[in-house]
Amino acid sequence: MRTFFDTGNAAIVEAAVLSGCGVFSGYPITPATEIAENMSRRLPLAGGFYIQAEDETAALHICIGGALGGLKTMTATSGPGYVLYADPYGWAISGEVPLVIVNAQRVGPVSGITGAPGQGEFYLSRYPTHGGNFETVVLAPNSVQEAFTMTMEAFNLAERFRTPVTILADQLVTDGYESFTVPENEEELRALGLEVIPRRAHPGPDFYPACDALDVPPVVLGLGLGAACSDWTPTAEGYDTEDTAEQMRHARRLIYKILAHRDLVDRSELHALEDDPDVVLVSYGSPSRVVLGAVKEARRQDLSAGCIRLKSLWPFQDELFRRKAEYFVVELNVEGQLVREVERASRRPAHFMGLCGELPSSAELVRAIRRILRGEALPPATDEREIR
Amino acid sequence: MDHLAEKYLRPRKIPSSACSGCGLGQVHKKILLAVEQSGIGTADLVWGTGIGCSGRQTFNTWKGDNFAGTHGRVYAMAVGLRVALPEEKKILLTVGDGDAFGIGLSHLLHCARRNVGVTVIVADNFGYQSTGGQYGYTTPHGFVTDSSPYGTDEPGWLQGGVDILDILKSAGATFLARHSSFEGQKAVDSVKKALDNKGFSLVHFIYPCVTHFGAVGLKSTDNGEIVRWFEKLFSTEGKSGSGPHFSSGITHDAAGSRPEFAAALKARTRKIREEPHVQA
Amino acid sequence: MSRHEVLISGFGGQGVAVTGRALGSAAVSAGLRATMLLSHGTETRGGYVRSQVVISDESIDSPVVENPDIFCALSQAAYTRFIHLVSQGVVFYDPETATPGPASGARLVAVPAREIALESAGNERAANSVMLGAVLRRLNLFPVKYGMQALRGLLPRHAESNIRAVRAGYLRYME
Repeated sequence: MRTFFDTGNAAIVEAAVLSGCGVFSGYPITPATEIAENMSRRLPLAGGFYIQAEDETAALHICIGGALGGLKTMTATSGPGYVLYADPYGWAISGEVPLVIVNAQRVGPVSGITGAPGQGEFYLSRYPTHGGNFETVVLAPNSVQEAFTMTMEAFNLAERFRTPVTILADQLVTDGYESFTVPENEEELRALGLEVIPRRAHPGPDFYPACDALDVPPVVLGLGLGAACSDWTPTAEGYDTEDTAEQMRHARRLIYKILAHRDLVDRSELHALEDDPDVVLVSYGSPSRVVLGAVKEARRQDLSAGCIRLKSLWPFQDELFRRKAEYFVVELNVEGQLVREVERASRRPAHFMGLCGELPSSAELVRAIRRILRGEALPPATDEREIR
Repeated sequence: MDHLAEKYLRPRKIPSSACSGCGLGQVHKKILLAVEQSGIGTADLVWGTGIGCSGRQTFNTWKGDNFAGTHGRVYAMAVGLRVALPEEKKILLTVGDGDAFGIGLSHLLHCARRNVGVTVIVADNFGYQSTGGQYGYTTPHGFVTDSSPYGTDEPGWLQGGVDILDILKSAGATFLARHSSFEGQKAVDSVKKALDNKGFSLVHFIYPCVTHFGAVGLKSTDNGEIVRWFEKLFSTEGKSGSGPHFSSGITHDAAGSRPEFAAALKARTRKIREEPHVQA
Repeated sequence: MSRHEVLISGFGGQGVAVTGRALGSAAVSAGLRATMLLSHGTETRGGYVRSQVVISDESIDSPVVENPDIFCALSQAAYTRFIHLVSQGVVFYDPETATPGPASGARLVAVPAREIALESAGNERAANSVMLGAVLRRLNLFPVKYGMQALRGLLPRHAESNIRAVRAGYLRYME
C-alpha cells in the first residue's frame, strides 16, 4: 500500500486509473478541474485517453461514445456542468451505458461561489434528466479515502447495473487534503475489499434483458454483431418502437434492475444509535464529518444523540428512518433538500440546519441538539444572527 | 435498391416510413452504392444517426452495428466511439440539416477541428419537416413555413455569400462535397471519397420534402413540380434565376493533409508510455 | 494523542497552501492522520487563502479548525478575520505584516519570519517555511525531518533554502 497526503480529486483519479478507465472527457470547472488535469497526466501513462470537450454536454456524449466502443469512461464536473449533462445522462440511462460521473458540488445557484462547497444537487442527482421512468445510483463520499474506494465501487456498480453512476461529492471532499491509502497489487486491492470488474460486451443484437437481470454485458458497437442502441424506446432487438407495451417494459427494466438489487447499492454509517437516542442527526458528504464529531461531543455531555450518515443517496434508504426520534438534518444548502426526503421516509417533521458555502461548527451543532432536546424549535433560516 | 437492400439493410426496416415522394430514399441508396463500390461489409462500418427525418428513418436500417444520438450530439458521441474503435472500422453518420447546422453545429465544428475520422451525410430538406415543417438554417430567406407564416426573417447558411461548407472547411474538415438527391454516380463517387478519407468528411445532400416544404414553401401538391424546383437549384437554368442556386461536386478535398484525431491520440499515448522522460 | 488544530492564513502567493500541505504530509509520513481544508478568496494570486490543518493519531471527524492550537497569521487581514477562533492557543505573527489587536486567551508570539527567512535562506519568500519550523516545534509531535522531507517533495527547486528556513524557524521558537 502507498499512503498519500493529497486531495479527493487526486484519489478519484488514482481509483479511475486502477479501475481501468479508458476515456476521460471533461470540461474545466472549479472545483473539479484538478480531476481533469490529473487525468490528462495519468491516463496516457496507463494507456487511456484524455479528451477535453467543447462543453459538458459534449463531455458526457464523448464518454457515451467511448463506452459504446467498449471502454470504461468517466467525466467530472460541478453543478453548472452537471446540469448540462441532462441530455446525455438520459441517453446513458435509457441506452444502459455504464459510466461514472463525478460531481464536486459547489454552492449555487448557477455559478455561485466557485471554490466553496455546496449540496444543491441532491435532487438533481435523482432526476438528472427528463422523462421519468428511471432510477439513479448515487454515492456520496465524505473523505479522501472514501472518494478513492467509492470511485472504484462506482465503476463496478456501473458495469453490474449497466447504468451511469454519480459520485456526488462536494468541494471539501474533492479539494480537501487528507491521508489516503492506495493498493499497489491485487492482494492489497482485495484486502481493502475492492475488485475490478472488467468491461464485457453483449454477444448479440438481441440485447434487451429481463426486468431485474443483473450483470448483463452492455451493448458494444464495432463487433459487427448487428447491435443497436438509441435514445428511442427499444424493442428487444434495439429497434425504435412506438408501442407503449414496450415502453412500459423498458421503464420497468430501468427501475427494477436497480431496485431489485438494492443491497449492492445501499450504504450507510450509523453511530450511537444502539440506545435509541432522542435526537438523530442525518447528513451526507463533508457535513457528516462535523456531525460525527458533534455527536461524540454531545455524548460526552450526556446528551441523547446519534447519527445516520448516508453513503449512498439514491435509491433513498427509507428503512433507515423508522425510528421514533427527532431527526435533525444538516446540509450545505439553506432551503433543505435531504430534509424533505427524511420527512417523507420517516413520516414526521424534521429539524434542519443548512449553511451556504461552509461547514457548521460542531459547537453550534451541539447547541442545536440541546435546543431540540429541550423541545425547542431551531431558529428559522430567516434569523441570520441567531443561527450562528 | 433491391440487391443493395438485401445485402445491407434489415428486412424489418423495408419499406421505410418516409412520405411518398420524399427524396431521402435516394440519398440512402447513394450511401449504400458507395459502400458497396468501396467493398465495405456490414461488419466494417458502424452507422450512427441524428434526430429528425433523416435520423429516424435511417436508424437501425443497417445490418451491421447502429446507434442514434441525442439531437445534435451524435458528433460528440462519435469522438468517443472513434477513439474506442480500431482504425479500420468506419463510422458513418446520417443526420439532418437541423441536427448538423442548428442544434449540433458547435459539436460538428469541433469534430471537424479535431479531424475525427467520421463520414457525416447531411440529408437537408430545408427545415424541420418531421415536426411538421418549421424553418431551419438552410431554408431560403423569405420562404413561408409553418413557423414563418409571413416568410422567414433571417438568412440561412446557404445564401448571401455565406456557405456552411466554407465554415466547415475553415474549421478543419478534410473532405467536403455537395449534391442533390437526384444525382447519380457523381454523388456516389463523392460519398466513396468521403468514406475513404481517414479524417472528417461531410457530404451535404439537398433533397425535396413534398409534404411540408413543398406544400407550404412552394405551395404545391404536385410532386413532379416540387421535384423540378429542387432539380433547378443545381441546374444551369437555375443559375440565371433569382432564387437559390448551388454547384454540385466536391468543394474541398484535403484528405490526408492533417492527422486523424484518434490515430494521432493513440500514437501520442504510445509514445508517452514508451518514453518515460516525456512524462509530466 | 488528542486532536491538534493548526490554522494558517494570509494572502495568495504567501505559501499558505504549501505550508499546510507540508505540515499534513509530514504528519502522514510520521504515521499520523491529517486533513487540510484549503479555502481561496479568489482564484488568482493576491486573494485571501486559509489552510485548516488537523492532525491526530486517530481518524479525524471534522476537518474544520474551530479552536486552533496554533494560528499562523501571515497578514493583518488574516489576523483580524480569525483571531476570535483562538481561545487558548498560540498565535504566530510577523510583526512586519500584522499588528496584534485584542486577543482574549491567545498567547501571542512574534515571529519575524521575513527577516529570519532573509537571514537563513537568503530569500524573504521562505517566510512561510520559517513559520512552518515554528509550528513544528510548537506541536512537537514528530521529528522536524518529516517537515523538511515534505518540503523537498513540494518545492523540489527551492528545497534547500526552504529547509534552512524551517530549521531557523524551529530553532528560533526554541529560544
